Amino acid sequence: MKVIVYEDSKWINLVPLSLIKCVFELRCGFFSMIDRLLPCLPESEKGLWVRDYMAPLAGKKYGMPVNDTSFFLDDLLIVNGRWLKTDGEIISPREEKAVKSGQEMLYAFIKKETVRRFWQGNFDEFLMSISGNVKPEEASGTILEYPWQIIHHNPKAIETDFLQAGKNGTGGGFSEKAAVTGDETKVFIAEKARVHPFAVIDTQAGPVYVEKGAEIFPFARVEGPCYIGSNTHIMPGANIREGCSFGEVCKVGGEVEESIFHSYANKYHDGFIGHSYIGEFVNLGAMTTNSDLKNDYTNVTVHVNGTPVDTQDMKVGCFIGDHTKTSIGTLFNTGTSAGIMCNITAGNVLPKYFPSFSWYINGSYMKGFGLEMMLATAKTAMARRKRTLSAEEESAVRHVYEMTSSERREFIRKSRMRK
Amino acid sequence: MEIKEIEERVKKVVKEVLGTEEEKLKPESRFVEDLGAESVQSLELVAAFEEEFAIEMEEDAALKVKTVGKAVEFIKKQMEA
Repeated sequence: MKVIVYEDSKWINLVPLSLIKCVFELRCGFFSMIDRLLPCLPESEKGLWVRDYMAPLAGKKYGMPVNDTSFFLDDLLIVNGRWLKTDGEIISPREEKAVKSGQEMLYAFIKKETVRRFWQGNFDEFLMSISGNVKPEEASGTILEYPWQIIHHNPKAIETDFLQAGKNGTGGGFSEKAAVTGDETKVFIAEKARVHPFAVIDTQAGPVYVEKGAEIFPFARVEGPCYIGSNTHIMPGANIREGCSFGEVCKVGGEVEESIFHSYANKYHDGFIGHSYIGEFVNLGAMTTNSDLKNDYTNVTVHVNGTPVDTQDMKVGCFIGDHTKTSIGTLFNTGTSAGIMCNITAGNVLPKYFPSFSWYINGSYMKGFGLEMMLATAKTAMARRKRTLSAEEESAVRHVYEMTSSERREFIRKSRMRK
Repeated sequence: MEIKEIEERVKKVVKEVLGTEEEKLKPESRFVEDLGAESVQSLELVAAFEEEFAIEMEEDAALKVKTVGKAVEFIKKQMEA
């Protein structure tokens, strides 16, 4: 049997977060989705199926075959990369079936005869055939379709992950002048993490898990449920409200509530971020703030693939693509989506959509200094954290630049017409 | 369009965007070093040139245009293309 973790055509609904990341790389709770899935897969050769332009990057990151059609000569277990699997149970199907949660497939086990019957070289068509023809089985499971759903599930995922990790206790780096309010068994501070004097960890609403090398500086307050990744710094005086996950090497100051910082993101200064997903290598200038609740308490809409989508939720913040930077004092409207590598400067309350690579200055969308300079900036930012932009990542960025160019031009054209 | 007219219109745009005095606008005047264009103003200049002359300035190419004279040459070529 071969195993494939796949992303389907709905990756587009997770834009901007999925522009240069596969859907299963997105983080919720302690882990990315693929880090949850891989331990649950049976011992067998594993591969990935992703959109073409992401294939080289996915191969480099995960070191397994990507889009390998030879997998379709064998019995096949295909697992949806948008499945937020939090139970930790091994998937071990014995009979052919397509396991679904509502209309969405969680996984399917397919005998090679059936694979041969339906595999025509197009993965999305293959999925439809399997979904329509293989014996269905209903199961409960969470499939993430839109960015705000990741935020919605994050607090519960943190709680579940904390229980499954089975660790608690404060290591040597917990200052005797720091405090825990609430149940002390709901705190885990890794051995090489530090909690400085006068920092407060509040577990009254959920657990707090701090990875090695992370630091919580004086006068910061961290409310559970919260996950703080390795080498992430919670800056002095920060107010980390419930339901936050920070990946590795983030710097987080100001007030943050129910948000995910993927990794290597900077929000060093004051300003509020709530119900938001902040991509990798994003830098938010001082006082950058987002609205996550409309004044009329109606549902928030978010632009997805060119269409406003009703989130069915009144608490939705912003979704910021990798490498985007904001100026001091940037104010994001409720439900903003900003693509990758945008450069957004403060003005009045901002529009709700920023095409990737766009520059928004003095109330107008503009051409920036071009892709080469943006790549150079990204490389500089990454080098500051001892990271490099791989050739595969650069290739994906270049692809997205071309892919989004007509949209960007249209926004610039309309912006000029309004002036 | 005659080169003279392009030159006049380039100067008009630069004056509007950067607030530069007429006598400082020479072909060899550098936008950043001599005329004090901040990075944001450089972008506004590109946008203003595109509108004034109804041309498209590709970002990486536009970045290489450093002086008033080079802008005139660049725009002339674009208009002839």
